[in-house]
Amino acid sequence: MSTTMPTSRQRRLRTWAFWAVPVLLLLTPLATNAYTQFIINGMLISILVTLGFTLVIGNLGQLAFANTAFFGIGAYASAILSAKLGLPWIMTIPLAGALGALGGFLASSAALRGIRSYYLAIITLAFGELMRWAYLHTKPLTGGTDGLPLPRETMFGISLSDDTLKFYIFLAVTVVLVKATLNLLRSRFGRAVMAVRENEVATASLAIPTARVILTTFIWSGFVVGCAGALFARHVGHVFPESFGMLHLIASFAMVLVGGLGSVLGAVLGAVVLTALPEYLRAFPGMEELFFGLIVAAVLVAMPLGLASLLRRLSPIFVERYYREES
Amino acid sequence: MTELLHVNGLSVRFSGLTALDDVSFTLQEGAVRAVIGPNGAGKSTLFNAISGYVTPTSGTVHLKGQELTKLTPHEIAEQGVRRTFQNGGLFPELTVLENVLTGLHAQIEGSFLDILLGRSKALKSEAENIHRARELLKLMSMDHMADTRAGDLSGGQQRIVEIVRTVASDPPVLLLDEPAVGLSPVARAQMMEIIHRLAGEKGVGILLIEHAVELVMAAADRILVMAAGARIAEGTPEEIREDRAVLEAYLGHS
Amino acid sequence: MLMQLTLGGFAQGAIYALIALSLTVVYRSTTVVNFGHGDFVMAGAFLSYVLVVLAGIAFLPAAVLAMLAMFVLGVFFSKGLIRPIRGGPHIGLALMCISAGYILRGIARMVWGREVLPMPPVFDIEPIFIGNLVITGDAVFIIGTVFVLLVVFFGLLGLTDLGKMVQAVYQSPRGARLIGLNVERFNDFSWGVGAALGALGGILVAPISLLHPDLGASFLIKGFAAMTLGGFGSLGGAVLGGILLGLAEQYAGAYLDSALIEITAYVVIVLVLFIRPHGLFGRKAVVKV
Ligand SMILES: Nc1ncnc2c1ncn2[C@@H]1O[C@H](COP(=O)(O)OP(=O)(O)O)[C@@H](O)[C@H]1O
Ligand SMILES: [Mg+2]
Repeated sequence: MSTTMPTSRQRRLRTWAFWAVPVLLLLTPLATNAYTQFIINGMLISILVTLGFTLVIGNLGQLAFANTAFFGIGAYASAILSAKLGLPWIMTIPLAGALGALGGFLASSAALRGIRSYYLAIITLAFGELMRWAYLHTKPLTGGTDGLPLPRETMFGISLSDDTLKFYIFLAVTVVLVKATLNLLRSRFGRAVMAVRENEVATASLAIPTARVILTTFIWSGFVVGCAGALFARHVGHVFPESFGMLHLIASFAMVLVGGLGSVLGAVLGAVVLTALPEYLRAFPGMEELFFGLIVAAVLVAMPLGLASLLRRLSPIFVERYYREES
Repeated sequence: MTELLHVNGLSVRFSGLTALDDVSFTLQEGAVRAVIGPNGAGKSTLFNAISGYVTPTSGTVHLKGQELTKLTPHEIAEQGVRRTFQNGGLFPELTVLENVLTGLHAQIEGSFLDILLGRSKALKSEAENIHRARELLKLMSMDHMADTRAGDLSGGQQRIVEIVRTVASDPPVLLLDEPAVGLSPVARAQMMEIIHRLAGEKGVGILLIEHAVELVMAAADRILVMAAGARIAEGTPEEIREDRAVLEAYLGHS
Repeated sequence: MLMQLTLGGFAQGAIYALIALSLTVVYRSTTVVNFGHGDFVMAGAFLSYVLVVLAGIAFLPAAVLAMLAMFVLGVFFSKGLIRPIRGGPHIGLALMCISAGYILRGIARMVWGREVLPMPPVFDIEPIFIGNLVITGDAVFIIGTVFVLLVVFFGLLGLTDLGKMVQAVYQSPRGARLIGLNVERFNDFSWGVGAALGALGGILVAPISLLHPDLGASFLIKGFAAMTLGGFGSLGGAVLGGILLGLAEQYAGAYLDSALIEITAYVVIVLVLFIRPHGLFGRKAVVKV
């Protein structure tokens, strides 16, 4: 059974669409009100969070749950750097990414010590909760339970509380990071990542330094999600420890799974589909948890390959390839 | 003929069990050396010790005079000693082409940053190697399968793709752990043909573990017979056929 | 002071031991780690609350009923949601457990919202004073219950034919299948036992703590820490690890910093996995190429 690969015409169409979609999105602020704009901004953040997560649990196949920790680290880094050191927020994005990457490095150091499978899940879960404890108990820096507000700031004479301005910045960051991740996956690096998932022993026999592949994947995942954290800090304007707890984790799982484990297209789909809905559930206590719990359970049983697999069946244009022939 | 691999006094002990006991031999360019022996004789352990997956208790391995013994598996592979696995080492979820490309990993140029930024240096090398991978598949008449999920191939096709992947980088030394096991007679013959061609045309030095005695006799220049971790005989197929110790210890049983 | 802390540590540790043991029961027979187990514990606590406070049943029969209900829930979870994805990757199984936990938590929060519920005290035992040492009824009851339960559990496992069969299954599920044991049903049963034992942990803490839908999360981590400390997969190790963790929390909280009580478990997990991944009593796993 040979997978039908996209034809070269379809590949060109796809490249074209990759740039056309964000360009068209530039127009959305014309058609939205403040509330829908806020939701769309949230979707962009979710795309990055899901992308970073799917890279580790889908492509690398590691049961690592530190994604929410990377997200929190990024958000707090951004908030602290702007509020306490007075850095312009835009400059905190790469720095938050770097600290998220450091988180990724720590998580991978566990994986590299041979802590795998359930042990890795447990230790990364503990890492996330330790970080939350740290936010609560370093009050001078993080504001403890009161959280930390971001200072008022303007860019190009426009206030950074303006959702349209934020949208353009978020969109640019998202497009750059998604494109870079696609570049990674469609290269020898991306193939090595999946080779490690499939058979780590055999991977090493092909002169692929498996430890470095694992380390780099975690670091890049941490970077992407750390950047998303910086966006999130500005998105909500005030970071609280509760934003980085278990609810965020299950929401990320749901997005990864609904879209399709290990698929970039799936990360985008899952994030878009699942960011808007829960907004309406938030008013009813418990509904969000119930909703995400049921979604994950249902997807696992009925559609384990996610929405991306449905699209793939529609047209080969959605088939993700892990090599790059053109140019 | 130049000497490629030099294995000297290699031993491996697993908490009490001596799986490999003071084994020495050399492998020449273009030579096929078979390793035979009953199950549990230590053949796979010999491969694991040479390729860095288990640490030898004593002894050394050299490739063209350079010591490999302390290197990690991926470093040894990079030096040019590549292997297949007894239970098959393909990546089932990747396509055939992607599998072969993983064998070219170290050949593809471009740093992590080049790849991340999509710089033309990385893209060019990627495209060249894809071309090369397709050529290799064509040589084995597997090019029509390039986009098939490796897990969907038949057993024989999987073994062949694994060999294509392993030799893609033109390694001087190849270790094949039971490559023909479970294959149909036709596929077996094809496999032996491939091994012959690799040794004869490309000068690859091949170490081959194989159970089917008639195949070994036909394919190998020299045979190493092992039992209980130790070498019990060594020589040309004709010499081995005559060897009493072998007849008693190994051939007699099967 | 030291004696008082030790007593408190034993009482807490007994709960952790119970939770770690229930996680291990499921893990040993099914190789699934229940990442939603904390919420099974929470569900046990809430069920006993409903039966005692809302239905007016006495504590002991209520506890038995709650455990039975959780047993049934565990069996259904195994049959309905775990079985269909058994052949799939580990990640799917872990996620399924997590989602089950969230479903339970969501239901609890829908019913009780953000309220924090106090359960009336049920152990009307006068505290005993020995010098400075105060032995409360709760402590006696918790330690006593868990002790009796452990004796029964390990007694059944070690001395009865049923127990020996269970041990045989732990050794080799394939062998068990060969001699005609229905492994699927055995797994369902293990899920039931694990859920009921975990629920008992919740039932025991209910009267001495405030109930809220999030109470499970920390118990999950404590259970993991106890398992990791004792050696993942070892039944006895889970119990010893639980007790040691309870003691460590009390000592760290009293002698170092009270904020440390909350994170002792995390620190234990990180330290053990980095220094001695197979735990204090577990054996090193051998990886074959
Ligand atoms: N990693 C290991 N740990 C412990 N014992 C091993 C390991 N690998 C192999 N052995 C043992 O070493 C002996 C030789 O095994 P092996 O080399 O696989 O034999 P062969 O490939 O000749 O059938 C066997 O008894 C096997 O059980
Ligand atoms: Mg073998």
